[in-house]
Amino acid sequence: MEVTMDPLFLAWSYFRRRKLQQCSDICTKILRDSPYDQAAWSLKTRALTEMVYIDEVEVDQEGIAEMMLDESSIAQVARPGTSLRLPGTSQGGGPTPAVRPMTQSGRPITGFVRPSTQSGRPGTMEQAIKTPRTASTARPVTSASGRFIRLGTASMLTNPDGPFINLSRLNLANYSQKPNLSRTLFDYIFHHENDVRNALDLAAQATEHAQFKDWWWKLQLGKCYYRLGLYREAEKQFRSALNHQEVVDTYLYLAKVYQRLDQPITALNLFKQGLDHFPGEVTLLTGIARIHEEMNNISSATEYYKDVLKQDNTHVEAIACIGSNHFYTDQPEIALRFYRRLLQMGVYNCQLYNNLGLCCFYAQQYDMTLSSFERALTLVANDEDQADVWYNIGHVAVGIGDLTLAYQCFKLTLAFNNDHAEAYNNLAVLELRKGHIEQSKAFLQTAASLAPHMYEPHFNLSILSEKIGDLQNSYTAAQKSEDAFPEHVDTQQLLKQLRQHFSVL
Amino acid sequence: MPEVKSIFREVLPKQGQLSMEDVPTMVLCKPKLLPLKSVTLEKLEKMQMEAQEAVKQQELAMKEQ
Repeated sequence: MEVTMDPLFLAWSYFRRRKLQQCSDICTKILRDSPYDQAAWSLKTRALTEMVYIDEVEVDQEGIAEMMLDESSIAQVARPGTSLRLPGTSQGGGPTPAVRPMTQSGRPITGFVRPSTQSGRPGTMEQAIKTPRTASTARPVTSASGRFIRLGTASMLTNPDGPFINLSRLNLANYSQKPNLSRTLFDYIFHHENDVRNALDLAAQATEHAQFKDWWWKLQLGKCYYRLGLYREAEKQFRSALNHQEVVDTYLYLAKVYQRLDQPITALNLFKQGLDHFPGEVTLLTGIARIHEEMNNISSATEYYKDVLKQDNTHVEAIACIGSNHFYTDQPEIALRFYRRLLQMGVYNCQLYNNLGLCCFYAQQYDMTLSSFERALTLVANDEDQADVWYNIGHVAVGIGDLTLAYQCFKLTLAFNNDHAEAYNNLAVLELRKGHIEQSKAFLQTAASLAPHMYEPHFNLSILSEKIGDLQNSYTAAQKSEDAFPEHVDTQQLLKQLRQHFSVL
Repeated sequence: MPEVKSIFREVLPKQGQLSMEDVPTMVLCKPKLLPLKSVTLEKLEKMQMEAQEAVKQQELAMKEQ
């Protein structure tokens, strides 16, 4: 006689082992036989939610509309050191653009990208439109909810019989009375269906049912308000949730609100307050480090990342950020140790091997350099990554003096990513060495228009124009270079020289 | 070997000026460390890819019908 397992128990077991599709299938079968089985219904909502669950704390996407039409900021021109939007105000003695490349928003590139990394705002609408908006740069698609909506519809597409729960026919008031069902239902509506308005309805009714004493529902209400862009209301809910119970998550969400409202100092204070209650909490320490990094205060960001590593020595973000900081402060050997640690921990991707290759080259461990890059090329996932790897190989080629190889590498970079401004600039330098002035000039102009935030193309164009006697253009280019990098000594000298020329005339 | 005299002597000019001209040179853009991706970001990208695939598959199926 065959003994069959109780289907619900089996479904539970699948759920615990994260075999979510199987779990959901069994629940569907149970529900077909007895449509009012609440346990199976609840388990299925949980399984479907887990399939598309992403940590809400980490997700933060600003659309163009939010960036350009921002009405929650307090001061148009904030004082230095109090805003995330003035990346130029570096107090921490961070590396200059002369050694560390900048992102579009004028921040030094970071060692780690998370969905909210590049929250720096572009200054003009034109720049906002030009900024790459793919997943790889963690840029929003068109609006903050663009990606969420698409995920929601995709989850519906995969179910040929239509959605599992028809939200418009759901009696939310009824469910909000049942605490054992309402929470899984909320998570399902919020994460799987991405229907924030219905989720908000449910949360509002449930919190009322709990007589406004349940911190969890207040937290969910805050999350809904945050998604809807009502930051002040979200703040109120999170504060109120904190009064009921101290939870790390609430601190993180609240800090997210303050970051969105461009109040980094308040967020920092909040994190410190959180650390009083939860000493050594890694997520709070990471939050502090991220804010310091965004405010261009790299040295104190590194301090906090080191604190993170004291608590959790396998924290990938901290290791990567400290490693990249060492690399750009001229200590590639130490950076190499950090990246090797990541490799030992099992991180295995194109980015890591690319970084290892660069570190090896600059730490003079030439035997490993090319094999690392080869490995990086085999692990490449998309064209942008491939372009960047070739760009870095080009640098190795420049370093060993093989200019033909360098030229080919930079050309390959452009083949994979036609908007690679750095590669255009470096190609221009190589072209000028060959004596092709017109070609070089064309490349520089392309680079300058693609990346107005970099000083190199402007500066090179200025030198080139000065050499061929086009002083006026040289002067304007030098001025642009000065705007991008005011402390650059060579630009200053060039400008001085040009001014002398003009005064003599 | 203190007795062995070196054949080569260093030349230190006692007269004249030493001049050096600082010519501005073109600068290369710097090598770029690639940032690692967070788990959340990777999951987002994976889900986006899968969603796109699913849509493509369905569109193909629609065309075939």
